[in-house]
Amino acid sequence: MASITNIRSALATNLGTVSGLRTSAEVPDNPSPPIAMVNFDSIEYHSAFNNALNTLQFTVSVIVGRAAEREAQRRLDAYVSPTGSQSVKAGVESDRTLSGECQDLICTGVNSIGSIVINDQTYLAAEFQVTVYA
Amino acid sequence: MAKFVVTSNAISLNGSDISANCARAELALTAAEVDVTDFGSSGWTEVIGGLKSGTVSLDFHSDFGSGAVSALFQDLIGTIGTVTLIAGNGTAASATTPQYTAEVLINSFTPIAGSVGDLSTFTVSFPTTGEVSYGTA
Repeated sequence: MASITNIRSALATNLGTVSGLRTSAEVPDNPSPPIAMVNFDSIEYHSAFNNALNTLQFTVSVIVGRAAEREAQRRLDAYVSPTGSQSVKAGVESDRTLSGECQDLICTGVNSIGSIVINDQTYLAAEFQVTVYA
Repeated sequence: MAKFVVTSNAISLNGSDISANCARAELALTAAEVDVTDFGSSGWTEVIGGLKSGTVSLDFHSDFGSGAVSALFQDLIGTIGTVTLIAGNGTAASATTPQYTAEVLINSFTPIAGSVGDLSTFTVSFPTTGEVSYGTA
C-alpha cells in the first residue's frame, strides 16, 4: 500500500481541480477560507489476503467563510453539489486511483453541514466522507 | 503451531497467485452417508462413509486488469482448473501450513456484481473432481 501521507497529498491534488478552492493535505493552524482540508479518520486492515487491500476513511472538511455571510452559504451549495466545476465530490473523484496511489476511491456523502469555530471565528463548513481502497 | 487469525492464505489457480484479490477461502471435504441400517441395528440408524467429494468456495475483489482475477476466470468457464490452497497463513507447504491441491470444475463465474457505492466483489464455488491431495512439504 502507498503511504498514507502520499494518499493525503494526492487527495489534496484532486481537490485542486475544484474551482476557487484552496487545498491542504493536513489541517492548518489558521485555515484561510475557502479551503478544503484532508483529515485521515481510520483504516481497516486485511480486506484481502496478504495485506493486499486496506480500506481507509478520510474526511474532507471544506470551510467556505464566515457563517453569517450569504456568499458563504451560496458557495457551500456549489461545493456540495454532486456535479459542476465547484463540486468537491467531482474533484475528489477526478482521479480515482490517485495517480496509482490507491486501487479506487469514492466520495460517499456529506454527513455534516454547519458552523464550526476556529480561533474564535465561526465558519460555515461541510464534511465530505471519502473511502479509499489501497 | 498455535491458534491463529486468518490473514494471508495463499491461493492459486492454474499456477497464478490470486491471493491478493481473495478475501475468503474455504475448502469443504465431505463423504456421503451410506445407510446400512438393518434388523440388527437395534433400532438405530447405521451409516458408513461413501464417495468423497469437495467444494472450493472463494470470495474475490473484482479486477479486470490484464491477467487479473476477473479476466482469468472469464476464459476458464467450463474447464477443469487446479486450485492450491495453503492454510495457516503460510506461503509454502509445511507441517503447520499444509497445502491442499484440488482439480475443480469452473462451472460458474459472476463477472458483474455489487451495488452502487460498494466495492465490486464476486464469489465462486466449484465442485472438486478427483482426489483432493494434501501436502506438508
